[in-house]
Amino acid sequence: MIIGRISRFLSDFDNLMPVFAGACALLFVLGILLLPLPYSESQLYPKRIDRASSLDPYDRGGPPFTQANISMQYPENSPTAGYVTTYLTPFSWWLSTTTLHLGTTIVAHPGGILDEILYNTRGLDTVVEPTILFIAFAIASYLFRKGI
Amino acid sequence: MLAIVSRAENQVEIVFGTDAYYGKEISVDEMRFRRFMSIACGLACMGAMVTGDLFDFTLFVSLVGICNVGIVAAVKTKHVQNAAFQYGIVALTATVPLFGGAAITAATTGTLSMIALGTALAGPVPFIAQAALVLGVMGEGMAPFYAAKAEMFRAPGAPYVIMCSFSSLLIFLRVVEVVLTI
Amino acid sequence: MWNQYSIGMAVVLASGVIAFAALAFERDDLHRLLLIDLVEIPSLGVVALLGTDLAEALVLPGLVVGIAELLALSHIYLLKEDLRDRPEGYLHIEVVEIGHAPVIIAVLLVVYGLILSGFTGGGIAGLGIVFFFMAKGHHENFSLLEAAAGISWGIWVCSFFVFMFLPQYWMLAVLGAGAGILLRHCPVLHPLHGRALPAGPRLHRARHREPG
Repeated sequence: MIIGRISRFLSDFDNLMPVFAGACALLFVLGILLLPLPYSESQLYPKRIDRASSLDPYDRGGPPFTQANISMQYPENSPTAGYVTTYLTPFSWWLSTTTLHLGTTIVAHPGGILDEILYNTRGLDTVVEPTILFIAFAIASYLFRKGI
Repeated sequence: MLAIVSRAENQVEIVFGTDAYYGKEISVDEMRFRRFMSIACGLACMGAMVTGDLFDFTLFVSLVGICNVGIVAAVKTKHVQNAAFQYGIVALTATVPLFGGAAITAATTGTLSMIALGTALAGPVPFIAQAALVLGVMGEGMAPFYAAKAEMFRAPGAPYVIMCSFSSLLIFLRVVEVVLTI
Repeated sequence: MWNQYSIGMAVVLASGVIAFAALAFERDDLHRLLLIDLVEIPSLGVVALLGTDLAEALVLPGLVVGIAELLALSHIYLLKEDLRDRPEGYLHIEVVEIGHAPVIIAVLLVVYGLILSGFTGGGIAGLGIVFFFMAKGHHENFSLLEAAAGISWGIWVCSFFVFMFLPQYWMLAVLGAGAGILLRHCPVLHPLHGRALPAGPRLHRARHREPG
């Protein structure tokens, strides 16, 4: 009786979203109740902030063409890790020497340790991620050309 | 041979009470698109099964989710489109607990490798992260809500629609294994 | 035990509860689609609370997955609700005519990119290539972007395999990844350009044919 009613409710796909969102909300409430979580001190790719640097929050460090020391997940897989570190284009180099605020804009110099993570040591993440974008784009373009 | 001759991908509807029936025509273009989606879905499933990294696992699972949407979204029937949309927004929402679970694991233990998490060296993974992972995979694969997924299966094109249920079954099995390991 | 991480988690989880509650009560499909954007923000917050450089790198996939699925879903929504482009008043964007200028600018960009080398250089070289192709064939903007997305994906995966199997050529791989990222993000721009351009002429042609 009650099972029949539940299954009838679930079989209507309009009700799927409320059910799932409700479950997620419950999970998050449970998360708040269980909260004080320990924070591990030995993190991968730790972030250091050097307030004196002119690239302040985004100083991603490392002179070009030398190998930096990085604490990463699978060191045995990436012998060249640490080479792909940051450097500045001539224009941003000039900006960074004249002002103290270059580091406040993330577009000023993408990369550094982020490139190292995204393309080298955790490259598979980044391969799967454009694959998702690619599939989504294929769906959208197929629907666009076929339907509308 | 029988399967090739009978063209299983063409759906036939019989009008109840009479002898009339009508088949649904499917264009080659549509079949090709859905074949591409199924192949991508299969590869994503394979990735989710073999990967040893928690964040890669979540990414592969969301790839499976969007491929499933793609397999059914190509169908022109209004009803199927509606189901695909509802399923798609659930799949999109499910990325929140998925990535959240992986991030909480990384913050509390300091590693994402399942092998390292399996040993006692890394601290215990909090219950909330495991629960978030399971809930995320349930959302991506619609694992327990097969009744609603049946609406999607009314889409014509038998061989490819099987991939939807097969992949969600596989990733659900895998997440159970992952949660038991870590 | 209440460290900074736990306090941040409490705030993010509370905002997540609010967003999910809104999603649970909403009935309209379009509003659901919009609310999903709201839900994505706590997800980014949870990842960002890691507080390391890894967090920044993990935020990017989360963001891109959200954008990608939103792209596909919005097209499904358009098809489902049977919404069409209105032919009148479409945006006409003037593109640089076929000539020498695009070639020169593209060559300059590619050369400058190669001098800069590395990731930024790859990006600039990729921009030069995109610019060249966009200036060349603006009528097939849409299918061109599709092709560019596929090719860039190929470049990306190739450079990943270079990193993996031929680590001594890491420089080449960084260049490839930089060029790939730029071409790859073309599809994200397409709702602005690709939709408006091909739809206009086709509809006009259909209208002309009607009386005859």
